[in-house]
Amino acid sequence: MQAVSGFRQPSVLPGFGLTLGFATFFLSAIVLLPLAALVLKTASMSWAEFLEVVLSPRALASYRLSFGASLVAALINTVFGFIVAWTLVRYDFPGRKILDAMIDMPFALPTAVSGIALTAVFAENGWIGQYLEPYGIKVAYTWLGVTVALTLIGLPFVVRSVQPSLLEVQRDLEDAAETLGATPLYIFRRIIFPTVVPALASGFTLAFARGIGEYGSVIFIAGNLPMKTEITPLLIVIKLEEFDYNGAAALGFVMLAMSFVMLLSINLVQAWARRGVVAARR
Amino acid sequence: MSITLDQVTKQYQGNPVVNDVSLAVAEGEFFVLLGPSGSGKSTLLRAIAGLTAADHGRIALFGRDVTQVSAREREVGFVFQNYALFRHMTVGENIEFALRVRRVKPAERARRRKELLELIGLPGMDDRLPTQLSGGQQQRVAVARALAHKPKVLLLDEPFGALDAKIREELRRTIRSVQRELGITTVLVTHDQEEAFALGDRLGVMNFGRLLETGRPTELYTRPATRFVATFLGAANLLLRREARSGSDLAPAGPEAQTDSPLRDRRDQEVVAMLRPEEAELAPDRDALRTTFLGYGHVEELQFTGALERLRIRMGLEGAARSSDGETSAMPPVWIDVTRTQPEQRAFPLASGQLVAVGTRRIHVLPTPLSSFTVCAESRESAARLMENPWLVDLTIRMQTRLSAQVEPLVAKDGASPVVAPAGVAVVTAGPDCPARVRRLLARGVTPVLCLPEDAAPPSRVIVHFAGQVARRATLAVTASLLRHVPAEAVFLGILPGDSSERTRTAGLRQLLDVRSEAQAGHGLDVRTELRLGERIEELLRELEAQPGQMLILGLPEPGSLPDSFEALLTQSPGWSVLLA
Repeated sequence: MQAVSGFRQPSVLPGFGLTLGFATFFLSAIVLLPLAALVLKTASMSWAEFLEVVLSPRALASYRLSFGASLVAALINTVFGFIVAWTLVRYDFPGRKILDAMIDMPFALPTAVSGIALTAVFAENGWIGQYLEPYGIKVAYTWLGVTVALTLIGLPFVVRSVQPSLLEVQRDLEDAAETLGATPLYIFRRIIFPTVVPALASGFTLAFARGIGEYGSVIFIAGNLPMKTEITPLLIVIKLEEFDYNGAAALGFVMLAMSFVMLLSINLVQAWARRGVVAARR
Repeated sequence: MSITLDQVTKQYQGNPVVNDVSLAVAEGEFFVLLGPSGSGKSTLLRAIAGLTAADHGRIALFGRDVTQVSAREREVGFVFQNYALFRHMTVGENIEFALRVRRVKPAERARRRKELLELIGLPGMDDRLPTQLSGGQQQRVAVARALAHKPKVLLLDEPFGALDAKIREELRRTIRSVQRELGITTVLVTHDQEEAFALGDRLGVMNFGRLLETGRPTELYTRPATRFVATFLGAANLLLRREARSGSDLAPAGPEAQTDSPLRDRRDQEVVAMLRPEEAELAPDRDALRTTFLGYGHVEELQFTGALERLRIRMGLEGAARSSDGETSAMPPVWIDVTRTQPEQRAFPLASGQLVAVGTRRIHVLPTPLSSFTVCAESRESAARLMENPWLVDLTIRMQTRLSAQVEPLVAKDGASPVVAPAGVAVVTAGPDCPARVRRLLARGVTPVLCLPEDAAPPSRVIVHFAGQVARRATLAVTASLLRHVPAEAVFLGILPGDSSERTRTAGLRQLLDVRSEAQAGHGLDVRTELRLGERIEELLRELEAQPGQMLILGLPEPGSLPDSFEALLTQSPGWSVLLA
């Protein structure tokens, strides 16, 4: 085939130009423009002012909590989300459909509602909190609470990414591996897991990204003690309430940059890992 | 024997998918399991591999009972229809998989990989990914992967199913030569008879979960014992033929055609004859035939297919399977399929609608005692009701045979001319009048007789019981023939008096096992055995009443007579059918 242009061969359906233009316009208007405004707003500060805001101890503590809790929550979700997806795909049990539908609940629920519910359950006198209290484990109003809230809202991302790829693993492959002498553990490690890894990675990325941006559910359970349980989005809101728009924009810019770098690197790693599979699918 | 199956049974939701299959495959043999889809052949293969657990029965590989052994430890190679290659591994890694699992050293692994790639004709393909290969190449890799750990048995589940005709043939040749070179015992599952003939040292044909017949390809093709095998292995015309007591005008093809029961001599015998399309000869008239004359017919369809010409001849009244019985006959007009080679076509060119004489070079008479069904009733209405019974209709279609009716009064009137004895299996309505009907038929030498409730459903279980040993052989033949068309589990039920001594019990048990091995040897049919103690009729009734939808095949103690005590089995029947033989 002759390479006419640098673009991929367009599909038989007409309208490539129209759709590309539409997509670019929408992305610009809804995503890029506000982000550009944020950068511009930040640029109106001097370097000294900027550094003072973003490197203040309170800000540094909030980054640690926001990114740390999101990371832990996304890791937990990767493990448990995989198990949930596995159970839903591989086994048939009464109530499977209901459980499957419940997975999406955190998507639909206003995040504030989940935050209040979690606080009620994990508070010192709550349903679960009262049993943890004697062991000295405090969930509500600590970083643990933040992690729990982020785990709740991130779970559906992992489950929904992994489910289709688990369905795709053919039973025949497992049968083949078994006749070749592989143990169930070996089959899982060498046959099932490699086919699920890309989906698991994208589920992790989505859950992580969602965790960094989460606000509603966290502020209720976090307690919002400065330096301890204050997440960056909350700090931004506080700045806004103090009419410190420049400070808010500076913090927002830092979050934006860090999220972008992290998501980009995850995607790069994923693309590198997937190369074999992509080549295989071609 | 390298693979021994003993009464292997597998059920899915109560339906037997594999039904009492016993089989022995010799070392180094290429055995092909052939059957239509849903016949249980793949399930049986998976049971041999250990991928599916058998519900009942034993599986042994090289004398070692592996029934409870997992697939992992059975040391078999398995090839799947859709290749089932690991797509995230290269060809080399796929082939080495079994060796890696066994922690074989890298040097040895590489040596074996090279050896196998050469064996399947893909040297140097180690680093390709499976999806970079064509379907045929992928399946070759799958074969190499299955052979890497030097299994003692190679199992192939429709390995050519997903390939096109040309590649299929090429791969077929590769697999045959690999199998010969390694001398490995191989079982291949297919639904394609051409493939089965090309590959198999021996074939086994399955239908409804039962292994119907096993034998060498030529054996099964020329002398099938069952209708199913006759029609499944190539095209076949099944003809019903009445033979007089003193032989017939149709030359029997083999010793199977000889009558084996003295009872049969008392009336005209109806047999099922198989005529292969290529064994028919066409000529302008009877005198021009060089072979046995069968009848005249009109050419109805004519198809040119390259090497062969296919014809469909509608036989006239002089046709082979003319029905000469009773008042009504549900028999459709008889068609005969004929194929002719180019030289034959040149010698006698034909056009549609032309009248031709049909001759037969070779006819094979199937050894089945169930030739056709004749409903015997006192009124047209009851005959019609019985003829509409869905199970009977279904059975007739499955057996590709005729269902006709014969109406005559229960008590013959004086002066009424005796009607010809019904052909094949006589079917009567179960109920209070049933014993009288049965007696009248038996007196005229009609066997077997099927007593069917008007609303009878297909049986889920068939009980076989011999009240005497005289008619055992005939009953066994009837049983074997029926079970091949009924997807139900079956059991030989022996009943001994409750107060019988230890010695009688042992003898009874031995007799039962004798019956089983006789059925196995004579009909290739394996059936379970059970022994009961008690009064015969009571035990049978208890067994039949235990669950609905059962059928009893009863071997009568004296041929041609029905003891009074047996009447209860026929009159009390609310839902079961009884086949008296």
